Amino acid sequence: MSGLKRVGLTIDGLKVQAAEGTSILKAAEQAGVVIPHFCYHPALEIEGNCRMCVVEIEGLPKLEPSCSALVREGLVVRTSTERVREARKDVLAFLLAEHPLDCPICDKAGECRLQDYYDRHGLTASRMVEPRERREKKLAIGRGLILDRERCVLCTRCVRFLRQMPGTGELGVFERGLRSEVGIFEDAPVDNGYSGNLVDICPVGAITAEDFRFKTRAWFLARKPSVCPHCGRGCAVTVESVSGYPLAKGERRVYRITARENPAVNGFWICDLGRDGRRDIDEGRHARLMKAGVPVAGLSWQTALADVAAAIRTVPGPERSAGIAVVLNGRLTCEELALAKRLFVAGLGLSKVYFADRKPGSADGLLLTAERLPNGRGVLEAGFAPRLPALDEIAAADVLLVFGPYLSEHLAEEALAKAWAGIPSKFLFSAHEGPLDRLADIVFPVAVPAEKSGTYINVDGTRQTFAQAVKPAAGVAAESAILAGLANLLALDAGGGDAR
Amino acid sequence: MSYAPSPAALEKIEGTIALYPEKPAALLPVLHIIQGESGFISAAAEAWAAAKLGLRPVRVREVLSFYTMFRRAPAGRTTLQVCRNLSCALAGADDILGLIREKLGIGPGETTSDGAVTLVTAECLGHCDHAPCLQVDGVDHGPVTRETVAALIEELKAHV
Repeated sequence: MSGLKRVGLTIDGLKVQAAEGTSILKAAEQAGVVIPHFCYHPALEIEGNCRMCVVEIEGLPKLEPSCSALVREGLVVRTSTERVREARKDVLAFLLAEHPLDCPICDKAGECRLQDYYDRHGLTASRMVEPRERREKKLAIGRGLILDRERCVLCTRCVRFLRQMPGTGELGVFERGLRSEVGIFEDAPVDNGYSGNLVDICPVGAITAEDFRFKTRAWFLARKPSVCPHCGRGCAVTVESVSGYPLAKGERRVYRITARENPAVNGFWICDLGRDGRRDIDEGRHARLMKAGVPVAGLSWQTALADVAAAIRTVPGPERSAGIAVVLNGRLTCEELALAKRLFVAGLGLSKVYFADRKPGSADGLLLTAERLPNGRGVLEAGFAPRLPALDEIAAADVLLVFGPYLSEHLAEEALAKAWAGIPSKFLFSAHEGPLDRLADIVFPVAVPAEKSGTYINVDGTRQTFAQAVKPAAGVAAESAILAGLANLLALDAGGGDAR
Repeated sequence: MSYAPSPAALEKIEGTIALYPEKPAALLPVLHIIQGESGFISAAAEAWAAAKLGLRPVRVREVLSFYTMFRRAPAGRTTLQVCRNLSCALAGADDILGLIREKLGIGPGETTSDGAVTLVTAECLGHCDHAPCLQVDGVDHGPVTRETVAALIEELKAHV
């Protein structure tokens, strides 16, 4: 942007500077003047079909769509004159003439542009006396997406997104005029790894996700920023949850994960794998401490940690290096990795520190990386040389500490069980249930990334610090607390000062 | 369901594609050739045309469904086109459509059960000065009245 010439213009009396080639809508937005729009999206090709963003430009006889009109030196733009307000009212009247007004049962209600704009710019009574057109209201278009043609305002954001971003172009606008409708060709549904973004970008409730339909209302959700932990990209996400966990059976805590804008990493989009990460937060979780495979009520992780410290103490100093094995993972934050390094390598002098993570998948050339862990670079930066342990390397240990359930993805369950049986003390720190649970003496329930604060370094070396997005259940602790607690029990320096 | 044009139509299609610098530009004439041969354009034919022109089938469907003169289902032996654009609508096109439904039992887009007549509506046939107007297999009639349309239908019933 810096190489481009900047031009000066006036928007609503404000003197504004913008780079040449910027649209009036964008320049206004940069100056804090919000112009309502449906079809415009900063990442998509301009189409100018909704006419909601029209503004008055001095010297031009007609109102101009500000999404496609570019800034020019000396332009005088007005965004809220009587004429503009009337034009917006008319646009809304036309859109609402055919709108079903089923907001009470619409999942978009509360975060719908049509609703918001009607409230701010419309507030006119309907002049329609004719019955409204009836159209398809629950057309499955693939990937758990449901299309409601009565609610559609034909902004074509979905059509443009599919052609531009994943490049699959499954949707089109068929017929014309009053009969125009969005649809798929015959039995070729929307089928790509970025389909969930359609729900995010639909300005109305025309495309909704089966996973979210009729489950809750938008205004009940607390929206907190986090970083997606499902691959090495580290996309910016919003975790949308309700408080009051643990919940009664059948209820949810995290209702959905949506894309958050971050130009440095993921732009406006996230993949379906990351969006589906809501299950990772709520499903298959350990909520209570388990001893010998049985949940123990009333036992706190702080108390149980004393057993771990005691087991570590049974190994005499000189034998620790060979006698104690630790398996870490790339889901740990940089802060936790620094703690682990201080505790296990510097403090206890261990040499058997291994890593086990999710198996790599295939990269899609867009956002999803082959690596399926969020902090691979952080592991390297902390000074570890990550390596999966061989079965006999674990079997030879007297004390085994395993963080994460991922060992079972790499080693056969039967062989693991055999190897673990010979280890006098073994402890598992895991957020999710897995085959390792029954093998460990104690299973500590730990937090998932959305429940933690910390820093991840993505595949491109971008360092991202995030805060806690949802509160963990009462008995669940972050690894940082566990590592610090263990260091405390062993009277070792956890380096609280620099590891936070 | 699959589609393949006859060797003659294929030759015509390939000749048409060669006329344009970009293959997709030949979409409309190619669709006309397919409809000219088959009488309509099936979903399989849409997919075939898309592959031939390097387009997505969705794009072909967009174009095909935009234009009222393309047919997506087999038509009757005679096609009746009734204009319902402004001049004709004001002059009573709806009334004419109602009369046709009464006499033939079909609405716009439908074909009589004996496969004789297909009724479609058109957006302006270019005969606003003869509103309300209609076409029978491309031949203009207008201005029509309930009486002339009734006579026309009797004639169709007798000959088709």
